[in-house]
Amino acid sequence: MPFRQKLKAITFPLTVLSWLLLLLSTLSNTNGRAAEWLGGPWPEWVTLTAQAAFAAGAFIYQRGRPDPLHGNDFVGLLRRLLLGPGMLATACVGLHLLERLVQVKFPTDDQTFFACVYTVNLALFVVFLAYTNYSWRSLVLFRASPRVQRQWVWFEVLLGFTLLFRLLDWVPPHPFDYLIVGGLGIFGVYLSGNQQWVAYLNRRQKWEAVLLQIAIMLALAVFVAYFLRIRNDLKLVAPAPQHAFLLLNAFFGTFYAFMGLMVTIFNLPTAGVFEQKREEILSMQRLTQLIQKGQNEEEVYAMLFDSAVQTMDADAAWLTLEDNEGATTVQHYRVSQGQADEVQRLLQEYKLNHTEYLNNDLASTDGFRELHLPYNSLIVMPLRSAKRRYGALYMLKEHRFGFDRENLSILQTFASQTVLSIENLQLVHISLENQRVQEELKIASAVQDSLIPKDLPIDSWFDISSYAASAREVGGDFYDFLHLPGRQLAILIGDVSGKGVTAAFHVAQMKGIFHALMQENHLARSEREKFPVPSRFMTQANTALSRCLERSAFVTASLYIIDYENAGFVFARAGHCHTLYYHSIKEEVSYFQTAGLGLGIIRNDSYEKHIKNQFYDYNPGDVMVIYTDGIVEARNADQEEYGEQRLLDMLEQTFSLEADEIKEQILNDLAQFSAGQPMHDDQTLLVVKFKSSQPDTLN
Amino acid sequence: MKITQHSSAGTLTLILDGELDASSSVLLDTELAKPETLQFQKVLINCKQLNYISSAGLGVFISHLQQFQDAGVKLVFFNMQDKVYNVFEILGLDTLMTIVPSEEEATAV
Repeated sequence: MPFRQKLKAITFPLTVLSWLLLLLSTLSNTNGRAAEWLGGPWPEWVTLTAQAAFAAGAFIYQRGRPDPLHGNDFVGLLRRLLLGPGMLATACVGLHLLERLVQVKFPTDDQTFFACVYTVNLALFVVFLAYTNYSWRSLVLFRASPRVQRQWVWFEVLLGFTLLFRLLDWVPPHPFDYLIVGGLGIFGVYLSGNQQWVAYLNRRQKWEAVLLQIAIMLALAVFVAYFLRIRNDLKLVAPAPQHAFLLLNAFFGTFYAFMGLMVTIFNLPTAGVFEQKREEILSMQRLTQLIQKGQNEEEVYAMLFDSAVQTMDADAAWLTLEDNEGATTVQHYRVSQGQADEVQRLLQEYKLNHTEYLNNDLASTDGFRELHLPYNSLIVMPLRSAKRRYGALYMLKEHRFGFDRENLSILQTFASQTVLSIENLQLVHISLENQRVQEELKIASAVQDSLIPKDLPIDSWFDISSYAASAREVGGDFYDFLHLPGRQLAILIGDVSGKGVTAAFHVAQMKGIFHALMQENHLARSEREKFPVPSRFMTQANTALSRCLERSAFVTASLYIIDYENAGFVFARAGHCHTLYYHSIKEEVSYFQTAGLGLGIIRNDSYEKHIKNQFYDYNPGDVMVIYTDGIVEARNADQEEYGEQRLLDMLEQTFSLEADEIKEQILNDLAQFSAGQPMHDDQTLLVVKFKSSQPDTLN
Repeated sequence: MKITQHSSAGTLTLILDGELDASSSVLLDTELAKPETLQFQKVLINCKQLNYISSAGLGVFISHLQQFQDAGVKLVFFNMQDKVYNVFEILGLDTLMTIVPSEEEATAV
């Protein structure tokens, strides 16, 4: 809006110029030398026009200035109003007194000095009115509806028109002039009803506002008194100013201040209630913020206690917290432990200690009267959630009927907010703890991973491929290899009952047992007895595990010792899955059907009777498939198990392939079968293929 | 898993219905751990509706096995489905526990 900006830019210089013109024109009407020099007297319309232009300029300039109201700082606005325009009033009085003094000291008929003082004071008055009324505008329009905003603009425009009254040398015929001025005055009174801002002051600010408004009215009165006084002065040469405009503005300025004063004074008694509400909201906010800051429980309780005591304006209070051993008082306010204990004991007798309780007349309640407490009102608010009780808040007041239903509902909000914060804090603790456990599980998983042999035995006699996957972070399956002297290889596979961390411990134990038992026995009489045969190994492992496995836990395992010098192997199956085998001679796939009891089921020497060795001479091209039940018990969408038959069928199709490929084919088939199903159990799969090339024996 | 039981003349019969896994085995353990269980001469387990048994379920029977033997209580399984029997057999439990095809045989043991 370039026009408005341009207007704004030229308003100030125009106002100053019009005032100078007014000064000169007034001087030209005096009997002094200045008048002669100016060639006066100038016509009256010059003075009137200059006056109107100055008043209009001052108001328009003030209108364009930034809103004097900063946020909700009403008192600040009033204070600035008193400082700025208040100074103008002081200057006005000072100039008037100076003029009087000069008149007394140097009596003269010369009107020049008097005219100067008058013109300056007129300017001060106009500026004062402009400043004041535009400050009032900020207050009138504070949170005002668009309707009120439109009304204010009309008010401004109509007041502006009254400037033209004298200017055009036309005054509305009597009694219309009175009607117009009176009507505008009533309009001002109507607008003065917009005093919403008073509600936003607290008690102290209201007192301040009252004093400031009185001061502003005094300043206005000073000007009005001055102009009334000099109106009849003989030295006054200027024509009467635009009375209607200035009168209406002064009236509105004064009346708005007066209305504000009244509203503020009548609001003073309720200021306490507003402040209390404010305090409640602030306390609630503080409590809410504490949750987000994640402070500790003590701070939340202390916060609750302080807020409640402050908001309820209690004369005494205490807070108890409950744990498994009972309630302990953690916060006191002007109450002794003895008094608190007595009240609690009494409430317990009445079985009221876990409910909300409000008693506004303790003196007429038998039990309490006997306690001789200096209090007459009691409120008890338990802190509890659906799950548990946290404690209770007790508050006392000296006078009867000290608490009302509203207090009770505020306390309820406080209590539920507090319980919410406490439970949030506990949740945060739990989730941190969970995170720590997760981290530790990751470590456990890494440790267990390191227990699984990474380097598979490599020899020209056979070909081994392995696969292992855990259903959880740590698993209960295990397998291991050990090269024994004399061209033998021990393979151990097994499964610990149960899952997770307990199972993982037993896995580590089994690995230890395996390596400990497969040590060379130097006292052995023959080569064959240097290492335990599988059945002997299982018996010893059973004894070792019996001491540390919990009663319902057991371990299944198979140990194979392959002697590739003699192209044979011996194995024992301790309750573990049957070994799947491809016999190349018979071109047949079958399971080795051997008996054998799991480890840890019988915990005495009789175990020996339940485990057997199976010897077999292998041929090149034979394939051995060793696995855990996670493979054959994997389920599909119809809850059917993969099963031994399907595994057998797979080997029938793939026995001619390399060990790696056989394993891949089986796993692919398994993955297809159980697609979309969660993994229930750990899975381990070892494929051993015996080779035809036997370079060593050829030498 | 649903466990129903009835007792008559020194015999307690438990009927297992459903899958005996880690969570349901706790129920079974509570039943078997009751002191009055050891007052019976015979505890029969009807496995007709038992569709699956996990290692945790086996663990429950294993953990009570010794106790039953010491107290002279016979533990007899009957009506067992093939796939469940297979699990008992692989683990070698068929040599330790009495598993018979029908209720008549179970009563006769």
